[in-house]
Amino acid sequence: MYRYDEFDHRFVQERVAEFRSQVTRRLDGSLNENEFKPLRLMNGLYLQLHAYMLRVAIPYGTLDSARMRMLAHIAEKWDRGYGHFTTRQNIQFNWPKLSDVPDILDALASVEMHAIQTSGNCIRNTTSDPYAGVAADEVEDPRITAELIRQWSSLHPEFTFLGRKFKIAVTGSAEDRTALKVHDIGIQIVRNTAGETGYRVLVGGGLGRTPMIAKELRAFLPREDLLPYLEAALRVYNLHGRRDNKYKARIKILVHEIGIEEYARQVEAEFAALDRDAIAAPVEEVARIAAYFAPPKLAARPAESTAFERARQVDPGFAAWASQNTFPHRVPGYVAATISLKPIGGAPGDATAEQMRAMADLAEKYSRDELRVTHEQNVVLPHVALDDLHSVYRGLAGVGLDAPNKGLVTDIVACPGLDYCALATARSIPVAQNIARRFGSTARQKEIGPLSIKISGCINACGHHHVGHIGILGLDKAGVESYQITLGGDATETAALGDRTGPGFGYDEVADVIEKLVDRYIELREVPQETFLQTYRRVGMEPFKEAIYATH
Amino acid sequence: MAKAFAPIVITANDLVEGDSVFLGPEGWTRDIRMARVARTAEEATALDASGAQGETQNLVVGPYRVEVSLETGAPVPVLRREQIRASGVPTIPVGPAAIEAAREAA
Repeated sequence: MYRYDEFDHRFVQERVAEFRSQVTRRLDGSLNENEFKPLRLMNGLYLQLHAYMLRVAIPYGTLDSARMRMLAHIAEKWDRGYGHFTTRQNIQFNWPKLSDVPDILDALASVEMHAIQTSGNCIRNTTSDPYAGVAADEVEDPRITAELIRQWSSLHPEFTFLGRKFKIAVTGSAEDRTALKVHDIGIQIVRNTAGETGYRVLVGGGLGRTPMIAKELRAFLPREDLLPYLEAALRVYNLHGRRDNKYKARIKILVHEIGIEEYARQVEAEFAALDRDAIAAPVEEVARIAAYFAPPKLAARPAESTAFERARQVDPGFAAWASQNTFPHRVPGYVAATISLKPIGGAPGDATAEQMRAMADLAEKYSRDELRVTHEQNVVLPHVALDDLHSVYRGLAGVGLDAPNKGLVTDIVACPGLDYCALATARSIPVAQNIARRFGSTARQKEIGPLSIKISGCINACGHHHVGHIGILGLDKAGVESYQITLGGDATETAALGDRTGPGFGYDEVADVIEKLVDRYIELREVPQETFLQTYRRVGMEPFKEAIYATH
Repeated sequence: MAKAFAPIVITANDLVEGDSVFLGPEGWTRDIRMARVARTAEEATALDASGAQGETQNLVVGPYRVEVSLETGAPVPVLRREQIRASGVPTIPVGPAAIEAAREAA
């Protein structure tokens, strides 16, 4: 877990005091909205369809029970009793009053949290693998690198006013659980042939109205060069930065237009000219950060657990949940457990204050006081002993968080859409709910197998629809919601952008269309183990198009 | 032929609460049914001025016109986005109410 030092504490407190003064001046009229808007955005405060929205940073999605309880407290005291976990591993509160926001920020600061750089054209929350420190295939815990980047990028004077927002993800594993290839910069921790640990650097990925898969900028970057190299990459982007057209201002457009070779040439030239020692993190500082993420001392346990096996036999609900929502831990006798925030009929990513407290209690008791928010809008308890898994499950079931659907058709990612968002052109949440209800049966979900549906309520693609196996994009057609479908998207190391099926569908038609696609997949797959994505890659678009347009 | 003027109301977000408000006969209201309706371009221009005043008086943020239908007598936004916005809440149960609804459905 990260820790604030004296400087961090003082800075965040000063920033809250500064924002309090700005809010006071806004309320008394000393600042008008044009003057205030950039200030509130720098502190994560948006104005949405029905209310203000405060986005709180959760560094690389990691938090402990005290922080989760504080989020619950904020939800209850200053909001409407719930929050929304996002695809950037953050949380959003949908109903704060402007006059309460300084108090909320004070409360966050008391647990070393803030809302800085959760908005605006700056480097946003660096995201990472929810199984960091757990996955057996990990070269190194990516949170150490993510924390270095967080410290380097926080209030970086040169990169506070970029041409557009900038998103970085870090993974320590070859199996990508961070959507690395759709980030402005994706960093993969790798080992070279000499056995040295360093970084593979990808650049120019992104979603939105011009989706692109990232390209390789450096196959191997020595560890000590990370921050100078990022500085060079950002500087080249910033110098080119198009401020005349925000739709062409992301780095993906720059890399696309000048080509990866030319961009790389410019980055290398800048990198060569930099005073690297002045930018690189001192070795002792890296060691200090690494110590924060030292693996917890998990007592050795047998790989098999009698208590777990017994519970599986007597509790079928638990058996289904345990088989779907757990991930192997590198330490025998433990698993990482995914808490699905996708109960059938619920709003994807939402959790009530009661649920947040329950998750915090379970983390404290059974998971070394750690929780991870995932980019798929779920929460992970990373270190649960098999012996304790049934207790965790029962705790979750008590607050409606026991959906056994991780990675299945009802584990839908959805942006807030037109129910909340001022930019949205169509609703997302009710579409997700309708689909989830359609496939509510656990047995049916199991039969379908891995299938990721992602829904965005506008072309900004906050719901990552381009990389859903089935993507759904809600648009406005002359005042009526219309939904385009894409197939074959993939957010992992085999990343791909989905292909559009054809004309869009009405709001009431979407669940039927998804069911037709799923039914056609079941007909087409050669063996039950062949996933939707594999089938799509084998047979292509035509059979699916035929299924949804033949009688349309 | 010039396109007929479509009736409009003026909406904005309340400065403190952030919620949707509409320009009524006696200031800003949360009930669109109470909103002043402009039926001509001239009336709309006059409403724009009143809306802008709300911003300079530090009551609201970002006033703008919303096209409405008067078929039922009271103004109803034409666009889906504005219908949802005027309702003041999402179209689905949210927060603790959503959990309750999901439990009942199960």
